[in-house]
Amino acid sequence: MNSNNLSYTQLLETNNLIQTSADETYWLCVTRTVQESKLFPVPAYMMLSYMMAYFRYPSLLRKIESRMSAEEIGDRARNAGIKIQNPSMGWALPGFYLLGREWLINLGLVRPQDAVEDLIYVMDFWKRFELSWHRNDGHITNKEFGHRGQFLPERQLQVFHADMFDCVAGDELHEASQAFMAATSQYGFLISCESRISLHNSGPYKLADDREMIVRDFMDLSESDFPWLDDVAKEVPYNNLTVTMAVKDCHFYLMDDWGSFESKPEFTADKLVGVALYTSDTLSEGYIPVGMGSREELTATFKSLTDKVKTASNKLWRRVAGWTRDQMIDAGAITYFAIIKDLAHVAGVYDVSDWMTVDERAERFRPLFNDEYSRDALVGLCIGTHPSHLANEYTMMQHSDKPQRLYSPIPYSILQGDDFTSSCGPVYPGKSHLEPKIDRYTTTRGVLTLAEYNKLAREMRPHYVDPKYRHLCETWVKYHAGTPLADELYKLGQGQSRLLKGKGSTLRRADVEKLRKSAR
Amino acid sequence: MAKLYIDNDKYGEQAASPIVEAYHSAIKDLVRRRLDEVGGDWASFVFDKSYDLIGAKDFAAVEKKLLATGHRFDWSAMISVREQPEIYKPAADAQGDAKDFSFEHAEAVVAAADAGGREQRGIGDNVVKYANNLIGTALYIRSSDRVLQLLTNGVPPDTVAIIDDSGGTLTAPILEQFKGVICAGGTVRSHLGILTREYGIPCLMNAKISGIKEGDRVEIESTAAAKTAEDYQRGVEAIARVWRLRK
Repeated sequence: MNSNNLSYTQLLETNNLIQTSADETYWLCVTRTVQESKLFPVPAYMMLSYMMAYFRYPSLLRKIESRMSAEEIGDRARNAGIKIQNPSMGWALPGFYLLGREWLINLGLVRPQDAVEDLIYVMDFWKRFELSWHRNDGHITNKEFGHRGQFLPERQLQVFHADMFDCVAGDELHEASQAFMAATSQYGFLISCESRISLHNSGPYKLADDREMIVRDFMDLSESDFPWLDDVAKEVPYNNLTVTMAVKDCHFYLMDDWGSFESKPEFTADKLVGVALYTSDTLSEGYIPVGMGSREELTATFKSLTDKVKTASNKLWRRVAGWTRDQMIDAGAITYFAIIKDLAHVAGVYDVSDWMTVDERAERFRPLFNDEYSRDALVGLCIGTHPSHLANEYTMMQHSDKPQRLYSPIPYSILQGDDFTSSCGPVYPGKSHLEPKIDRYTTTRGVLTLAEYNKLAREMRPHYVDPKYRHLCETWVKYHAGTPLADELYKLGQGQSRLLKGKGSTLRRADVEKLRKSAR
Repeated sequence: MAKLYIDNDKYGEQAASPIVEAYHSAIKDLVRRRLDEVGGDWASFVFDKSYDLIGAKDFAAVEKKLLATGHRFDWSAMISVREQPEIYKPAADAQGDAKDFSFEHAEAVVAAADAGGREQRGIGDNVVKYANNLIGTALYIRSSDRVLQLLTNGVPPDTVAIIDDSGGTLTAPILEQFKGVICAGGTVRSHLGILTREYGIPCLMNAKISGIKEGDRVEIESTAAAKTAEDYQRGVEAIARVWRLRK
């Protein structure tokens, strides 16, 4: 391939993005929990998923971007609790792709300068999405922000703040909401084959000197993309649910790019003092309140949803317990690989064969994935003990201080004539050991066929991406609050708010708190 | 024989894991041979010819070669050893449901019975600090068959589940019914730790216990300080005790 198509700047930037992802991958893998399971062959499916990501992400991202730019998808993701937040976008998109690449380098099957255009494109897509999604906090990742994720605009935060119902340990709402979050967290782990990728936390946001709010998303809960939820999740009425939580006397000091948190003191249920519930998806105008008409209605809604989730969870567990190892590996690998599938939903180009099958190039490697090799190969990839990871002895990797590099940079020598290759090729055919997907997708517009879903997604233009409002950012609001256009913008987001409907753009946090007090 | 790009690696050393080293050596050798067969042209090999020339059969042969040396794999998921017992190390005690079974951890801290008849039989990392210690009846749960049985017949009241899987899926349908959990693995941030915290179930993770058999009455020191993320990072000891109570 001709290096004239590549610039030094492109390589410098791509290598910087690779290294950014590498450093955080090491930190996350070493300091966060080990993912273990006696039920699922987790390392085996993770290794397979990295192969799937390596061979398909470049083509699938190009397909998505042929309909909608990464930046616009980022704008939409910022306003809905769908599965293109964390860990999917902050970490997994580059992480899975780069882990796959690194493994193949260690097998001698690719070189650091192979599929260079794919690599540059994947990292560039990631950068543009992340910068757009994180527009309000001005960072590319939670990591860069000191492990914090504050991407919501004030107008959304005010609605969340205003409409939250107070609760205290022992009252009915407190117990109902806790029971819901426990049952749904557990259901999420099962849906995602022992991973936490159905769950996402973001924030924290400051509600008062002694209170913070975090936003908890529970995603892919109903019949939608995963074939293993067909029938068993039919009664779960919402595919995505978002719980906003006010917490007293507890500071969330860490919100990482895996979407998990740490707090001081340790968060315990007794510190929960406010909750609310919403749903959203690619077809909704942002967050839609669920059972939020009154405190009693919300309590009853949590209880009802908990029952439905538990029933679905038990049915799903029985289904999973009857799977073969290949079925378990497929479900886990597909869950991982398809962690970014909602990009395709937003763009209206989702295809079952793209996201719910194992590409034949990845499938070749399955015989290698016994439990022991998978475990050791995976650990080596995550902590940097394969030969490709080792650098000169003078260097000290971030966090480990060892002469390591978790991901191989692109060698700059390709700019002065060294050969390289551009792409691993298009999407190849795939297959799966799982039951075929039933053409039923639970959305905020009802249960749809995929053709209907894609059509509506392509037609969807939420108000916040309308050219009239799209770039009315927080800086603009700071200097234009109270103007007709600012009020119009805020009122669009307040349309379904119990306390803020029609209030406009001039309220401050204290005004919202006053409204809450007067409504008690 | 063809030379691979990574064959000239100034800093690279053998992989840390012997099995990884064995696999990767065999695969690299395979790649060299196949590359030779097409005349050594990397550009046409890497994302084109190699797709056909290096396939599942070749990778299966790599595994077969290792098994021929007598090696048997460690297993982590029950389904793996159940489907292919011939390639994994024996899993005779995997069910762990026999009445005389007990976890015997080499680092279990034990002590003679105190005045109240409580005999310390181990330690663990406390997930959440509660106002009172937790007392219940030990029940080993180590297989999906056992979970299914309990799902069908019900979990006995007062159950303190003793589990060696720190994941959140094996016990998913019955976890809420446990009075307490002792998990012989993971950390307080493992999925099982996260879920017991959400459910408000006292739980010790990373437990090192000895001599506790099914049906024993046990007490968990759930009043001990919870182990924090910082404790793990700084290597701070923060342990809670497990006692077996006098029958």
